[in-house]
Amino acid sequence: MKIHIKRILLAFIILSLAAIFFFPVAATLARSVWFEKSIRPAAYKELFLNCFIFYPMFWNSVLYSGNITICQLFVIIPCAFGFHYAAFKGKAALYTFYIMLMMMPLQVTVLPNYIGLRDLDLINTRAAIIIPMIFSPFGVVVMHQYMKSIDDSLVEAARLDTGSVIRIIMTAVVPQLKVCIFAVVLFVFAECWNMVEQPLLFLKDNRLKTLTIMISQADKFSPAIIAGASVVFMIPILLLYMFFNENLEEGLTLKEL
Amino acid sequence: MKESADKSTPDKATGILKSKLKHKPRRLKWNTKCMLCIGLSLAGTMLFFIIPYIRVLYYAMIDNQFRRNFVWLDNYIETLKNEYFLLALKNSMLLMIICVPVLIVLAIMISLALSFGLRRLKAARTAFILPMLLPTASIVVVWQMVFSEVSNVIPIYILFIWKNIGICIVLMTAAFTSIDREIFEAASLDGTGGFKIHRYITVPLIAPTILFTVLLSIVNSFKIFKESYLYYGENYPPEHSYTLQYYMNNNFLKLDYQALATSAVLTSLLVLVIVLAGITVQRRYSG
Repeated sequence: MKIHIKRILLAFIILSLAAIFFFPVAATLARSVWFEKSIRPAAYKELFLNCFIFYPMFWNSVLYSGNITICQLFVIIPCAFGFHYAAFKGKAALYTFYIMLMMMPLQVTVLPNYIGLRDLDLINTRAAIIIPMIFSPFGVVVMHQYMKSIDDSLVEAARLDTGSVIRIIMTAVVPQLKVCIFAVVLFVFAECWNMVEQPLLFLKDNRLKTLTIMISQADKFSPAIIAGASVVFMIPILLLYMFFNENLEEGLTLKEL
Repeated sequence: MKESADKSTPDKATGILKSKLKHKPRRLKWNTKCMLCIGLSLAGTMLFFIIPYIRVLYYAMIDNQFRRNFVWLDNYIETLKNEYFLLALKNSMLLMIICVPVLIVLAIMISLALSFGLRRLKAARTAFILPMLLPTASIVVVWQMVFSEVSNVIPIYILFIWKNIGICIVLMTAAFTSIDREIFEAASLDGTGGFKIHRYITVPLIAPTILFTVLLSIVNSFKIFKESYLYYGENYPPEHSYTLQYYMNNNFLKLDYQALATSAVLTSLLVLVIVLAGITVQRRYSG
């Protein structure tokens, strides 16, 4: 009986914490449909019919995040594979460097990124947003840690079959990494979708900017438009979360430094 | 004809020799190929981080972009004396010292509850995970409304915990679920109670993960700029919320490369020290 009360109390605490944490999300949703003391889709009407800048900006967000996420997979999977199977002097040091880079605040990496982009004459282009993010180290670290748990014998077997590393990765490694790939996709896409600093600093042209910038300039639009845009902006993340959230815990194991 | 027969059924002595000869160059090649796999990522990192970072180090040591006289450590001394830099550093440190312990303890308790006591409530984790994924820009308006009367730094602290608890819970839940269940059975046979089991067994078992989340949260406390920037909607927030990233961002907008480069180097040194400390702790305790 005593244990029962304890459990109910614990459940109550956890649920109320969850409610507090969820409140801002719920309030954002509610605000977009609550209009002049009744539930009306007025905000969405105004957003979709009167706010034409919304469409290119939404498209930019999709373009940047989608491209970064897909291209990143082609970089991080081979890289994590290499880290796992190659043996060379300084591998541990290089991996530690990747962890450091992953831990660096954006404000440290953004200046080198800016200088690199400026030297390549890429400032104020779409590539300025996409290319540096492709080489973000987060995915490499996550995948490398996950790789420790995969079955080596499949890779060994594939090596007898073919000499092509690409083939080995596609047939023997990627299927085993599925869970981790989904988790990384969800995480990386959300991170790109949230970008604020990069479009602010690397882009001058308003045509190239993302929806985050539009929403953060709340004073330039009517509150209804911002409320609607905020919700529309959350939808892709919510959809991705619905599809991939089962993989999050299993796919993201970070413990070794 | 004779040769092919030789290859398929060699005598023992030469067979070993042959396979060694055949194997050695191939293994080298495999290793090289694996190293090449890292190449693409490394090349990008070189191009957009390592090489420009050397430029950053150089910028931090010259007087300005046009004259380019070497002043060695003058910029560092100037930055360390700059009152805005010190204010920013103090605020960043305060955020780190106050919020990170709260965040970690809260995350440990929630993930313990969700992975052991209340497994049926697992769906509640969505409420804790969504904040890290959803765009802050969308939600910040609600924060501004809730805290419109509050003029201290508390909203930023709460925003930090709200935003960062998700990743901690994900990592910890993963670690808790991978613990062998037999340990609990053994412990309950000994008559150890629920709380004690967690205090002495489960939490210590996931120590490496906790260390990682501590490190990640410390570093994320340097990254709160985005939330703070969106919350205040300008480059000059109230004094109590002026963190390192504001200092750097404002220097970026002023195109003051020297101040920017110097603070970037100082911040990266700070992160370097924190990560190295974490690595040392982990190496020592994992034996």
